[in-house]
Amino acid sequence: MPEGIEIQLKKGVLDLCVLALLSQHDSYAYEIAARLADDIGMGEGTIYPLMRRLQNEGLVETYLEESPSGPSRKYYRLSDAGRASFVSQKLAWASFAHAVESILGGAQ
Amino acid sequence: MTRQAFMARLREGLRGLPAQTQADIMADYESHFADGQSAGRSEAEVAAALGDPDRLARELRAEAGLKRWEEARSPSSAGAAVFAVLGLGAIDIIFLLPILMGVVGALVGIAVAVLAVFFAGGVMFAAGPFTDPPGGAVAALMGGLGLMAGATSAGAVLTIVSIGLLNALVWYGRLHYRLLKPALEPQAQGTLA
Repeated sequence: MPEGIEIQLKKGVLDLCVLALLSQHDSYAYEIAARLADDIGMGEGTIYPLMRRLQNEGLVETYLEESPSGPSRKYYRLSDAGRASFVSQKLAWASFAHAVESILGGAQ
Repeated sequence: MTRQAFMARLREGLRGLPAQTQADIMADYESHFADGQSAGRSEAEVAAALGDPDRLARELRAEAGLKRWEEARSPSSAGAAVFAVLGLGAIDIIFLLPILMGVVGALVGIAVAVLAVFFAGGVMFAAGPFTDPPGGAVAALMGGLGLMAGATSAGAVLTIVSIGLLNALVWYGRLHYRLLKPALEPQAQGTLA
């Protein structure tokens, strides 16, 4: 099944992007989905299977917070394991991106 | 698609999951519609941006099945994990099926053989001494014990191998649906402002 390189690239970094957003501040699924749909074109519905998996893997935790409008809202925050995973994934991404950059630069 | 139609198809797709899990998932998507509405989007826009409820339900079921296996290693949760991966219905998993069936068949065959050796050892241990065996009664006792011990350790190794293989399958399944293509295709309409 051939796939565009763009989709391949997005697939690889989706987890990293979610962890990165949560490392800045706690957030709820709609907000994360909105951000990722805008910036990398992710289908919004995907956020829920993804968040459940991150939760199962112990990388994020949830808590309920009163919302100014309507019922209380489910917020996600990084666990300690999630923070550690984010740091190591970010390093891996940086060195990978750097390596690809230098190869592409050499090829003109 | 309306909110009601989306939620109905999602609910249909989630049938069979624990009630609490279903309720959690439904609440997640309900609040997504509510958030979308307060951001000024129509139900149809939100539903389109969410994607196909059947496919989302498959992914959520798969995750629930894999989680069961990780929480409790039992034959029934092993079955749940295998069906969770197969339930994704992706093409390359279907290609995997004949190989998988071969591997499972071989494992079952080995398990039967291990059981047979164990029982043969038991019979030799219990009945051997009374049948005037070559080498005497002590040889029959020792031989029987040896066969049973051998079969037990072979069974233990077999169990470890089975668990390892299933973990590999779970890993493959996760890798697969995490990366499932349509989830990442840009939505034609209904992207957030």
